[in-house]
Amino acid sequence: MKKIINAPETYTDDMLRGIYSANPMVKYVEDDLRCYCIAEKKPGKVAIITGGGTGHLPLFLGYVGDGLLDGCGVGGVFQSPSSEQIYNVAKEVDAGAGVLFLYGNYTGDIMNFDMAAEMLEMDDIEARSIVGADDVNSNADPDTRRGVAGIFFMYKCAGAKAAKMGTLDEVLAAAQKAKDNTRTVGFALTPCIIPEIGHPNFTLGENEMAMGMGIHGEPGIWNGPIKTAAELAEESLDTIFKDMPVEEGEEVCVLINGLGATSLEELYILSGNVREILDKKKIKVFRTFVGEYATSMEMAGASISICKMADEEMKEQINMPVHTPFYTQI
Amino acid sequence: MSKTEITIEELPVLFESVADIFAKEKEHLCEMDAQMGDGDLGLTMSKGYGALPDLIRENTAPDDIGKTLMKAGMKMAGLVPSTMGTLMASGIMAGGKSIAGKSVMGPAEMADFISNFATGLAKRGKCQAGDRTIYDALLPAGEAAVEAAQKGAGLAEVVNAALDGAKKGVENTKDMVPKFGKAAVFAAKAKGTEDQGAVAGKDLIEGLAKYFQD
Repeated sequence: MKKIINAPETYTDDMLRGIYSANPMVKYVEDDLRCYCIAEKKPGKVAIITGGGTGHLPLFLGYVGDGLLDGCGVGGVFQSPSSEQIYNVAKEVDAGAGVLFLYGNYTGDIMNFDMAAEMLEMDDIEARSIVGADDVNSNADPDTRRGVAGIFFMYKCAGAKAAKMGTLDEVLAAAQKAKDNTRTVGFALTPCIIPEIGHPNFTLGENEMAMGMGIHGEPGIWNGPIKTAAELAEESLDTIFKDMPVEEGEEVCVLINGLGATSLEELYILSGNVREILDKKKIKVFRTFVGEYATSMEMAGASISICKMADEEMKEQINMPVHTPFYTQI
Repeated sequence: MSKTEITIEELPVLFESVADIFAKEKEHLCEMDAQMGDGDLGLTMSKGYGALPDLIRENTAPDDIGKTLMKAGMKMAGLVPSTMGTLMASGIMAGGKSIAGKSVMGPAEMADFISNFATGLAKRGKCQAGDRTIYDALLPAGEAAVEAAQKGAGLAEVVNAALDGAKKGVENTKDMVPKFGKAAVFAAKAKGTEDQGAVAGKDLIEGLAKYFQD
């Protein structure tokens, strides 16, 4: 393992100390670094809280900021934050209009967010929950799918609705609409190493790749010789469109996401190939996002997300300027 | 003279009795679990319930036994983050929620606590009766407790009824096929043996019952 760290055990907290010292727009609650909150809350706004394991930056905490989210429970590498941390974040950022829990569809996270919601109920703070579950290859059943990079569109739409002072129900509906219209396919070329384990949890041969692998290294649907960018674009879009048909003339957003070790150059090669296919199908592209949105530390690979624009309001939400320490959109 | 109610001050002592049982049964539960699963069941139970009495003392909500249990349960979840630890915490929180606002625990509240502990745990763990889990001990325990309370039983009788229900439930797991976790891999081996999770559930109720015997 070659990593720039001090000790595997302090990986998460050392990272957090770095983030707080560099970014005055965020803070933590009391003495718990893992309770990550926006520094200034806006009275009367629905608070959106996310959370999940460390190792996916800018996911999850990177989306806390103006126009997006208000707080994040930070777990250890690939581990859920505790229910108490989520609860403490919620107590801190609640601004009187209720809280929305918006996170990825993973068992440990669900248990802890649900427990936190029950505690909030005792304090008369209304909490609603929705999970991202966009990874098409992870399961045939949409409710059982893992949440990956496509959660970005849920953050964007819910964040915009909350910034416009929408009610808790309206913010939840905005997140739901983004969820219903987003699908992702991802693939990995090399594994990542959890610092406290010290070695990769799977291996891929020199010219081998894994289609459908999850952002924690969950097995995909096939391992085989590496394909070209054009072939990967085609297979990924085929999978997405089989699951969520997009008709000629309809408008979509495209998200080309790097998993950590894949260069921006490669991501743009992939993006170009995705665009060619969409053009050929006469599917309009409203906006294209290329970069690192949900990573798996130093895993090489990428994911392609398509988010169908259901209406004009959704397009406005996608276009709304936002600013966080990790993501700025003008 | 038998107790008619548990006050907030007595609550940690009640759960010390549960902690004692799990300290005693730790090795046995770990051995049973090693045959079928991770082998850490006894550790989770003894660590979690060992800490619970102090967590209750440190998180006492004035005049509210239910809220006190909920807060302590949430703290316990952070201490034992394994699946079983989370399920125990969920049970305590759901049980506590059902008696929120109550300043003492009488027979009806005890029955509500046990039966809602069971349903809260099942909801979080997405398990059903017959899946060969801890729920197969706690569901009959809760049902027996509610039935006893409705018939006007006293506090000790309610808990004893729950214990009888839990024991019968454990016995019934011998014929059940595991559906969850590593135990599912050893399905054939499970036949004729008691489910270790169900035994832990019975131990929990036994700890509560002990408090009224001493």
